Amino acid sequence: MEQRIDPKTEHDRDRRVMKLVLSAGQTLLENGAEVFRVEQTMQIMARSFALQEFQVYVLTNGIFASAGTKEIGEVRNIPNHTVDLGRVDEINTLSRRIAAGGVTLEQAEQEVERIRQLPLTSQKTRCLASGMGAFCFALMFGGAVIDGLVAAAAAVVLQQYLIWSSGRGVPGIFQKMTGSALIAGICLVVCTLLHGSADYATIGALMLLTPGLAFTMGIRDFANSDYLSGSIRMMDALLVGGSIASGAGLVMALYSHWAGVLL
Amino acid sequence: MMDLSNLLHLLSEFVLAGVATVSFAILLSVPKREYLTCGFVGAVGWVIYVLLTDAGQSPALATLIASIPLTALARTFAIRHKAPVTVFLVSGIFALVPGAGIYYTAYYFIMGDPMFSTKGIETLKIALALALGMTIVLGMPLPRKKITKQ
Repeated sequence: MEQRIDPKTEHDRDRRVMKLVLSAGQTLLENGAEVFRVEQTMQIMARSFALQEFQVYVLTNGIFASAGTKEIGEVRNIPNHTVDLGRVDEINTLSRRIAAGGVTLEQAEQEVERIRQLPLTSQKTRCLASGMGAFCFALMFGGAVIDGLVAAAAAVVLQQYLIWSSGRGVPGIFQKMTGSALIAGICLVVCTLLHGSADYATIGALMLLTPGLAFTMGIRDFANSDYLSGSIRMMDALLVGGSIASGAGLVMALYSHWAGVLL
Repeated sequence: MMDLSNLLHLLSEFVLAGVATVSFAILLSVPKREYLTCGFVGAVGWVIYVLLTDAGQSPALATLIASIPLTALARTFAIRHKAPVTVFLVSGIFALVPGAGIYYTAYYFIMGDPMFSTKGIETLKIALALALGMTIVLGMPLPRKKITKQ
C-alpha cells in the first residue's frame, strides 16, 4: 500500500489511476470489445486501485468517466476501430490479475502500454488467412475447387486493396462497397475465362466483407441492455451488408449489360 | 440412414468450416492458443446447419438452431479458458452470417428477377434467427457456482 500523507500526492495518484483506467478502456473499445466489457473492466480496475466514486459511461465510439469527489472528469473520443481480439484478451487477463491483487500501479501502467504496442497481424499473414478463408467458404457454399481458388485470389487482392485504401483514409462503407465490386469483377472475369462458377467464387470472397463482427457485437450490446451502442453496431452491420450487396450488384449489372452487347 | 459417403461429406464440411473459422480468427488477431478452439466452435455450428438444411429445414430455422449450441460452446470455452466470449463467438459465427443471402439478393435484384424480395426477406430472417439464437444463450444466467467471469 502506498502511504497517503499529502492530499496533493493522493490527487496525483488518482489522476494516474484515472489515466490508466482510461487507456485500458480505450484499448478495449478500439480493438472490438463490447460496451459492457469496457465498463466492467474499467470499474474493476478503478476499484482495485481505490479510485473513489468512479463513474463511467461508454458508447461504441467514446468513453465518459469521472471520479466524483476528486474533480477528475475525462472524455475520450474513439473514432477508429482496428480489430485485435488478442489485445482485448490481454487487457481482460490484466484486469483479472489486478482484481486478484499483487499488481502495482507502475506494473499495470507498463502492462497496458505494452499491450497497446503489441504488433498487429502482418500483412502477409492477413493475405494468406483471407485467401484460405475465401477458399473454404467457396467450397462450403457448394463451389468446386477452381471456384475456391478464384475466390482465394480475389480475397488476396481485396486484402491488398483494403490495406491500401485504409492507408488513404477511405471511409469504411465506401471501402466495403468498392471492395465488393472489385471481388465481383475479378470473379466474373476470371471465372468466365476458366469456366468456373462466378457465384460461388464471389460468395466465398464476399464473406470477408460481411459484417459479422459488428453484428455479433451489436447482439452482445443488446443482450446487455446497451441499446444505443447496440443500435450503432446494428446500423453499421446493416449499412455494410447493403453496401457489399450494391457494390457486387453494380458490377454484375454492368457485366451482364456489356456481355450482352459484346456477345 | 447415415452411410459412409454422408459421413465423409459431413467430415469435409467440418474441416472446411474449421479452417475457414481459423482464417477469420487470424484476421481478427485472436490469440494463437485459441485458434483450434475457435475452429471447433465454428465447425460445430456449421455442421449442425448443414445437417438441418440437408434434412429439408429452412436456412433461417437451421441458423437459429445451429447458433444455440455454437453460442453455448463459446460461453463454455470463455469460462474454461478465462478469455472473452467474443473471441470464440465472433470467429465462430462467421460461417452462419448470410453472405450468400446478401449476394443472391443483389444478384436477383440486378437481374430483375422477382426472387430478390424472397431472398432479401430470407437473408433478414437468417440474420434475425442468428440474433435470436445468440441472445437466448447469452441471456441465460450462469449456474451459481460458476460465476467466475471477472
